[in-house]
Amino acid sequence: MLWYKAWLETRSRFLISLLGMVILPCYLVFDENRGPKQYTPDDWYNHVFHNGHGLIVIMWLAAVILLMMGGLLREKANGTAAFTLALPVSRAHQMLVRILSGFGQTMTLAVVPCSAMYLVAITTGRDTPVSHALSHVVLLCAGGLVFFSVAVFSSSVVEGEYTAPAVAFGLLFADIAVLGQGRYQAYSIWKFMLGNEYLDRAPQPLTGIPWPHVAANVLIAVLLLAASIRAIQRREF
Amino acid sequence: MIDLPVIQTHRLCKSYGRTDAVRDLSLSVGAGRMTGFLGRNGAGKSTTIKMLTGMIRPTSGEGSVLGERIGDSEENVQLRRRVAYVSEDKRLYGYMTVAQMIRFTSGFYSDWRPDTAEFLRCKYELPADRKVKALSKGMRTKLALLLAIARQPALLILDEPSEGLDPVGVEQLLESLVTQCGEGTAVFFSSHQIEEVERIADQVCIVEQGRLLKDVSLDDIRQCYRRIDLVFPTQPHERDFRLEGVESVQTSGHQMRILASGNVNEVIERGHAFHASEVDVAPVSLREMFLSTIQENSHALV
Repeated sequence: MLWYKAWLETRSRFLISLLGMVILPCYLVFDENRGPKQYTPDDWYNHVFHNGHGLIVIMWLAAVILLMMGGLLREKANGTAAFTLALPVSRAHQMLVRILSGFGQTMTLAVVPCSAMYLVAITTGRDTPVSHALSHVVLLCAGGLVFFSVAVFSSSVVEGEYTAPAVAFGLLFADIAVLGQGRYQAYSIWKFMLGNEYLDRAPQPLTGIPWPHVAANVLIAVLLLAASIRAIQRREF
Repeated sequence: MIDLPVIQTHRLCKSYGRTDAVRDLSLSVGAGRMTGFLGRNGAGKSTTIKMLTGMIRPTSGEGSVLGERIGDSEENVQLRRRVAYVSEDKRLYGYMTVAQMIRFTSGFYSDWRPDTAEFLRCKYELPADRKVKALSKGMRTKLALLLAIARQPALLILDEPSEGLDPVGVEQLLESLVTQCGEGTAVFFSSHQIEEVERIADQVCIVEQGRLLKDVSLDDIRQCYRRIDLVFPTQPHERDFRLEGVESVQTSGHQMRILASGNVNEVIERGHAFHASEVDVAPVSLREMFLSTIQENSHALV
């Protein structure tokens, strides 16, 4: 039943995000394809397909922060926490359901738009290797996992109805502004998700998935999620 | 077989920084009884209820509900299977409809009674397809109550249940609580509405500044408590009337008002001994007893 609640709570945000994330990048690819400009395969990838990926990344980040805007602290702010906490379910279980349902939704938001954009590309005559689309998904999911866990963590420690997403957006902008350029770029999750270093500006775009970086991101995400569960278990309502 | 208390606390304390919300609260609530929890705003009622339901942790002391320790998170989950709780603000998920809310809640309890839920939904005139956020406060309160009593909890804890209800709603609420208690559920509820408590409660616990001042049955109040008004020719001394069983003494000029839970005849004799010109003895309402208890103790507790 907690899954049912999680779905009812987030379905509007999820479906609107999914719709927007499928339509906009697909339209971008479709529109460029029917235009007068002629692209070489590499140019087409670098200037169109990769831009579509960038658009998906931006929309995905906004969507994940808004989707994970919830949980017991938000319920405390809007007054429903007492009802939720009176249910015969542990707080850890409640958090786990919220994390897993959010994870499922955010992964869907990564896979479906990337797949849709790839399908639009190949059905409109662009010979795009499936490995490119897969690489986009891997980078989006692996980098996005950190932002997903940041959104969960902020909603588990910051009180207020809209304070947690505001904090998560703040951290995202800090990543873009502080780490996104210069010598710290290697540490920027935002840059990692865009994948310029691994996918772009080369005759052979796919240079390989940076698995150590992916593993580090997964580890950070797991630690943040564990800390979120602990914070909620200790919190007084 | 002796019924164990459904709620038992021993020197329960809760502090927020240097403020003590609950102090050394030792409480015992009997099974199958309707217990009113009375106190002024900020007396510690809601804090106590939140500790009992595991929403906050006691700073010190112990407590158990239906034999499960409130401080143990695993036991707390177990006790919540048998306890129904209606919080003070009765907020429910605004994005669900009434039917979805009932369906959602029913999934957590094996003893859910769908017929009772439907009967109460019709009785409370709750539209199944209306979103909770579109319900009035009174309707929301009724829905919260429905979700609590559509099963057979061993204990029903309610924090200000009648707040926001119109007179018809209050009557339905009181009727539902009496029915629920008659079916064997112990009811523990806080309220500011003393007349409502007096109508339905078997027992009342009065708290002030986090401390339990009184734990008394309504039968005892009706049978043993008396208000004695005395008029003297000269100004009387309170200390002369501080006998055993005298709960409070108030003087105003030559008049004295005594609230006694026992030794009433002795107090009357003492009045005559001090040449009281008028002696009037009357039963005591819960309101009088409550106000007198609070007044008598508020200075002593500071």
